[in-house]
Amino acid sequence: MITRLIFLLKRQILIVSSFKLKLIRSKIFIVLLLLYDIYCRLALPRVRLSPWMDNICEDSSSNLTPVFYRPTSHFSCYCKEKMQEMGGEAEFATRGVHAFGNQKPQPLLTLPEFGSCPPLQSFMSSKLNSLVDLTTEKVETFLEGLLVNGWLSKLVNTRSYIEKSIAKWTFYLMLYSSKEELRASACDFWCNILLPRSKTEELPIRIEWFPSYCELRSALETYGFLFNYLSQTESIITDSGVRGPPKNIRAWIKFAAACCRVRSKRPVFSASEAEELVEVAVFLSSDHQLEGLLVLLDEFVQSVINYFTDEEWNISCEKIAKSISCRSPRDLNCLQTVECISGVSTRSNHLRSAVSYQILLNCFNNKASNEEEMLSLLISINVKDRSCDLFQMYIYLVLTENWLLSNPMFELKPVIYEMWGVYLRNCSCQITSTDMRPYASKVRTKASYILNGTTKK
Amino acid sequence: MMKSAGIEENLLAIIDSASDSKHTPDANDDRLAFLEAVRSACIVNENPPTSKMCEAVFQILRVGKSLELITESFRLLNELDKRFPHVYLSEKEASESSHLIVVEGGWSPFLFNLESASRERGAGCRSISGPLDSLGFLQLMQELGEVANEGNLQALEIKSLRNMLVFQYLINALEGDFLPRNRVYEETMNWTHLRESLLNLLLSTRKINYKGLMKDCLTIMCGLFDVSAGISEDLESPDNAAAKLSHNDNTASALALFELGNNACFALQKLLIMIMDLDMSRKKADMQGSTTRADGVRTPLMEIILDEITYDTDMLSPFLKVFNEPKWKLEIILQYFSKYTTRLSTRTRRSNGPTEDATTFSGVLNCFSNVTSTRSITKKISADVVQVLLAHAFQAHLSLSCQQDADGIAASKDEGRSSSLAEICENIISAFSNLRRTDAKMEILPIGKEALFTAATILSTETGAQV
Repeated sequence: MITRLIFLLKRQILIVSSFKLKLIRSKIFIVLLLLYDIYCRLALPRVRLSPWMDNICEDSSSNLTPVFYRPTSHFSCYCKEKMQEMGGEAEFATRGVHAFGNQKPQPLLTLPEFGSCPPLQSFMSSKLNSLVDLTTEKVETFLEGLLVNGWLSKLVNTRSYIEKSIAKWTFYLMLYSSKEELRASACDFWCNILLPRSKTEELPIRIEWFPSYCELRSALETYGFLFNYLSQTESIITDSGVRGPPKNIRAWIKFAAACCRVRSKRPVFSASEAEELVEVAVFLSSDHQLEGLLVLLDEFVQSVINYFTDEEWNISCEKIAKSISCRSPRDLNCLQTVECISGVSTRSNHLRSAVSYQILLNCFNNKASNEEEMLSLLISINVKDRSCDLFQMYIYLVLTENWLLSNPMFELKPVIYEMWGVYLRNCSCQITSTDMRPYASKVRTKASYILNGTTKK
Repeated sequence: MMKSAGIEENLLAIIDSASDSKHTPDANDDRLAFLEAVRSACIVNENPPTSKMCEAVFQILRVGKSLELITESFRLLNELDKRFPHVYLSEKEASESSHLIVVEGGWSPFLFNLESASRERGAGCRSISGPLDSLGFLQLMQELGEVANEGNLQALEIKSLRNMLVFQYLINALEGDFLPRNRVYEETMNWTHLRESLLNLLLSTRKINYKGLMKDCLTIMCGLFDVSAGISEDLESPDNAAAKLSHNDNTASALALFELGNNACFALQKLLIMIMDLDMSRKKADMQGSTTRADGVRTPLMEIILDEITYDTDMLSPFLKVFNEPKWKLEIILQYFSKYTTRLSTRTRRSNGPTEDATTFSGVLNCFSNVTSTRSITKKISADVVQVLLAHAFQAHLSLSCQQDADGIAASKDEGRSSSLAEICENIISAFSNLRRTDAKMEILPIGKEALFTAATILSTETGAQV
């Protein structure tokens, strides 16, 4: 029995040492060690371990809860307690952030008076109307047809002009209509206006009414977006009511992204509004309900961070990072927040690095005032200490990796790199391969993986 | 090179135990970790990915069972292709014509060479892993077709969403390969570049029924459009089975479906356009004699499309609604008309003379300039079809003229477009009036009414501006 256990332990160690970013496998590791531990300590000659072991052997990656919760055994209770004691439960922190609470009632929209719209009026009085039979009652259905079949865009393009009533009507359809056909067409209509093919300096189309950030923000509120995430989570999510977001969120994202891309021709947002939009974009990206829109959200993040001028960006990036870090939870989800910022451009790398740094600062309650201090704080953590929370350590490690490796600015500061190296060696060398604490192997392998990558550079 | 190999080994170790059949949360976490690690190694730190790495990412896209996995792997693949293209044009410097650069040994989601085909046939069953051959592509299309036919509920399943993403990625890969090759072909007239393009290899294999595949493409395109546009109503009715899915899954996949269905539709359109571009280059190559018998014969896609929309009138309106690339749309409609209006001149091309030449839009409109000629056409084509064709042609014309305004290009090649917009609008109005005159009971379709309104409104602003 003992040889078998040792064999299994070795197997786990082997697998783990080949760099595993694993959440649950480490639990098996603990369980095995616990079994081994108890087996040795109690020196039980015939503990019925085999069924459990078989369980583990057959499907080592299956969910182990049945093993833990087998009620008849005191042994399993012991394991469970021990696990909690060791911080293993922290892994079960809910994955995925909910960016949305319950939806709010839609604002009542008063339909603009189409009758007063000159083209419609003149058409209805022309003799051509005998072919079309357009009457005031039918105007809305007719307009919907024009919109869905793309005529409205063609008209606006040819006339280079859009009336207030049409602008308002399409905007509200886009944000609040429950019909996919209408909201998608309205969204295409607006994107077509905002992103013309021509490379002129101004928008070629004169727009009588342009939505402001205020309208976009209130739509998001209606969808249930939690602007004050941490304070409201408990109160807003109740079983009654419909949880956001509605399907209109897709049109919202596309429209907001288009507004950002049009800056050179028409600045739509102020710098502080754009800062808030970046936060919104990042938090939308971390909501699991929107994971199908990943590519769209990615483009949105890119567009909105490119909205800033270079001077604005240097100031705003810091501010954005600070407020994102305040909103970000301190569990594994904060890593997800960082991973949402894709790092495909210089600015997004910059932001990724800044957000990671700010979250790190927050984790240490802002005890550090600069980068060197931050790193010395990290180096000062004694990983050999039994009370050292390696789960936290893992998060610090990934955050630091993102902070330093995404940031091109540190290339000139050798001190930082040296300290980073010391920190990595602490993590990789001071944790032994037989360390049984949860996340020990993850921290160790991650650190040696990065160390490997950076020294080769 | 050494470094890449080291990274590869480290990275692949992350998913070594997550075999394709395992879909436990644990294995999925491994895969996500792997994707993130590839991203940081290749995108953030700019190491080119190795074939094995691309292969593994593509495999995750093909077997992934969670929305997160498939969208993440899809995004990563596209970013990798963008950052490290396999085929691209050299920077233009001293030499005038651009030079095609093909990265040797680059990974491609397609594999058309014969060896693999025979090996797979020998094995008896085609495995799901590895790059696709043409049969794999065909199978994917069939599965997409099922979604488009059977509608909403099935579309919400992860498998359907995954197929849409895989398809979209494959089209992106085809496009990334085809566009630069076609550019170079147009400059150098060297057919070899296009002969070796993935698209040409895919289409010219004898293992698939090309005509059938293209017809399926049209049906699937229209079907998918309906599915992605119509699902909202179904979901909002409370007693629908789909509503019984847990809220989270439901919202996530419904939201995804709108996005992915739409994109798949767009990808299909891209495929059709690429094939028509390829056909055009092929025609040039044929005339220059640079093709050989080995190139085989293939019916131009345009003919297949025309056949489909001519003999299946239910197809006409949906197809024209979905297919919105103006240049080809106008071309298709003009060809449609030319089959009926100038029977003789289509055979003996370019008979200079009659103004009723239906190769330009204004030429077509001329056929409807008086009641007699209109009547002679409506005997061959039903009035409803004429309305749909005219309205869509008008729309395409408007898009084209906007594009030309934007690009600052005067319409020089096509004399039809040189007639002013106002003339075209007037002609549209008179065409519809004449249609009505041929048959007083004829109802003007909604799309016809919309076209009329548009034409009249443009006219009133144009003349208003002049006064």
